[in-house]
Amino acid sequence: MADLKHRILMVSDFFYPNFGGVENHIYYLSQCLLKLGHKVVVLTHAYGNRSGVRYMTGGLKVYYVPWRPFLMQNTFPTIYGTFPIIRTILLREKISLVHGHQAFSTLCHETLMHARTMGYKVVFTDHSLYGFADVGSIHMNKVLQFTLADVTRAICVSHTSKENTVLRSGLPPEKVFVIPNAVDTAMFKPAQQRLGRDEIVIVVISRLVYRKGADLLVEVIPEVCRLYPNVRFIVGGDGPKRVRLEEMREKHSLQDRVEMLGAVPHASVRSVLISGHIFLNSSLTEAFCIAILEAASCGLLTVSTRVGGVPEVLPDDMIVLAEPDPSDMVHAIRKAISILPNIDPQVMHDRMKRLYNWNDVAERTEIVYNRALKCSDQSLLERLSRDNGESE
Amino acid sequence: MDMNFTADSSLAPSRWRKVAYGGMQPGYDDNHTDETFLEDMVMNANVVKRNMLKVMQDSVSISQYLCIVFLVVLVWIYTLRSTLNENSLLLLDISLLGSGFIILVLTEEMLSLKRLWNYILNVSFFTTGLFVLAPIYQTLTRSISSDSIWAVTISLLLLHLFLHDYSGSTIRPSGALKNPNLTSCISLNASIVASVFIASRLPSRVHVFATMLFSLQIFLFAPLVTYCIKKYSFRLHLLFSLGLMAVTLTFVYSLHCLLFVLLVGILIFVNVVCPYWLIRIQEYKFEINGPWDEAKLCFDITD
Repeated sequence: MADLKHRILMVSDFFYPNFGGVENHIYYLSQCLLKLGHKVVVLTHAYGNRSGVRYMTGGLKVYYVPWRPFLMQNTFPTIYGTFPIIRTILLREKISLVHGHQAFSTLCHETLMHARTMGYKVVFTDHSLYGFADVGSIHMNKVLQFTLADVTRAICVSHTSKENTVLRSGLPPEKVFVIPNAVDTAMFKPAQQRLGRDEIVIVVISRLVYRKGADLLVEVIPEVCRLYPNVRFIVGGDGPKRVRLEEMREKHSLQDRVEMLGAVPHASVRSVLISGHIFLNSSLTEAFCIAILEAASCGLLTVSTRVGGVPEVLPDDMIVLAEPDPSDMVHAIRKAISILPNIDPQVMHDRMKRLYNWNDVAERTEIVYNRALKCSDQSLLERLSRDNGESE
Repeated sequence: MDMNFTADSSLAPSRWRKVAYGGMQPGYDDNHTDETFLEDMVMNANVVKRNMLKVMQDSVSISQYLCIVFLVVLVWIYTLRSTLNENSLLLLDISLLGSGFIILVLTEEMLSLKRLWNYILNVSFFTTGLFVLAPIYQTLTRSISSDSIWAVTISLLLLHLFLHDYSGSTIRPSGALKNPNLTSCISLNASIVASVFIASRLPSRVHVFATMLFSLQIFLFAPLVTYCIKKYSFRLHLLFSLGLMAVTLTFVYSLHCLLFVLLVGILIFVNVVCPYWLIRIQEYKFEINGPWDEAKLCFDITD
């Protein structure tokens, strides 16, 4: 059935050498699509000296176009300035379909617009949740409405994200597919030897910013350390709220019970994770939390806040959910500590191998591509009326 | 599509679940939209339904302050034309101060002698300072032309009215809820600068002192006094505002007919047209809340 091989252009401002959810998603998805026989080319902006054409594993061709990022890794938006290079790449690589990632990426919006003008079929993946009320979100939603007014198909990473995207952009729900992220279980294996149970180690790895709930950590950690004398914390990651955590550590004299590692490079994340029993995630909003998948793949029991798409990510026996409230989180940690004897990391890891798989994600994405390419072409007049009416 | 049906199952093999793990759910496409789609969305949860009469009553605070500012401008015009001489102005100042104190004492529930003495001390420092600095203000703008002075004063007064905090008072009385924010401080400063400019056009030192005292008294303390009246009794507040509006309208009518028409127009706009407009456009309010919202922390972050 799926004998048609596509030539796909992945576009985003966020790619290697940056590390993050979107970057990993694009990389792993491209690798699995290459294995399925398609050709994949990635378009992104130059990172420092890394500019020009590079080849990555498996023959993945990456165009680092020499534009300077101006705000949070985004290219400066010149609406027509990007057209020549995009057209050159599209024609030279004989692309059949363009796949853009992340609503916050200006390069993605511009490329999708130009690709639609040239008549290519376009797929868009949204990785984040946005609100509706503050100035930044209103602006973002307007831009998104314009871009998504005539995208061929859209993909969201969780069902909550699909609801959010449909409300923000006015797309009909049938056009939006839900294909979650996955985790590289070969890289995130549990420790060879199981950890002793006399001291319980809780691991936190996240950027220490407001959005990721660092303030909740400041309230929760002293309370848990007070209630359970045998619990130790390892906090990895850096950010503006690190100062508050250090102050909390000084105030309650928890220097020997809370270890602050600073920024953890991606290659060392596994070694930090396998030194713990429980993974604590306190974010205030999350479309799909890959960190939880990595922790579960390493055999840790997860305690997380019930926000966004997190309740859909893991089965109920692998995660303990709590409201984003310090007392509820302490309660959840207590429950996790009591369930801990029943958890076998190797069993959890094997289950994760069956639950999440990048090859499965690539096959489902391929179905979306096939559907998109079967859609009828649209004339310019139809496209303009759709943009103006912003209708479905 | 092969599917295993149990003996007594319905048409769909298994129910669709709102989960992300386990790959594609058998029997359902990835773009399947369930009946539970958007089930958790809540619309207009925090929107207050407004009543026309209440909004009109609340808009009286705005028109009351507008009338106060108009009265101040009237006094300035009369002083500049020498219709009002310095002795009557001084008398006006003292009577205003006295009545302000009386209102404060009457409306404050728990006014101790210590706090009253504090107020009196502050006011006397303030008055003495003004008296000492009056010669400086008199010669401040001698090199600036009168036209620039009128233009700057009017723009500053407009800025003051635009940024003014109509719900509270910048000078905090005891027990007020919120700290003054940036815009209310800017508006207060604009009004003070406007009073300085006007005062610097006057002939003698006593004139300058009396006008400065009058303007600063009104701009600094009138919001405090009206806030205390409003807190004490809403009916008293309404009566006071209506009386103030009547007095202003009478004086403006005797001054200039066009200004009177302008004032009447502004008062009608603020009190009648704006509340109606607000209620009309509230129908379009569409607030969306749901599980995708960023969680709000229930505790305060103290740094």
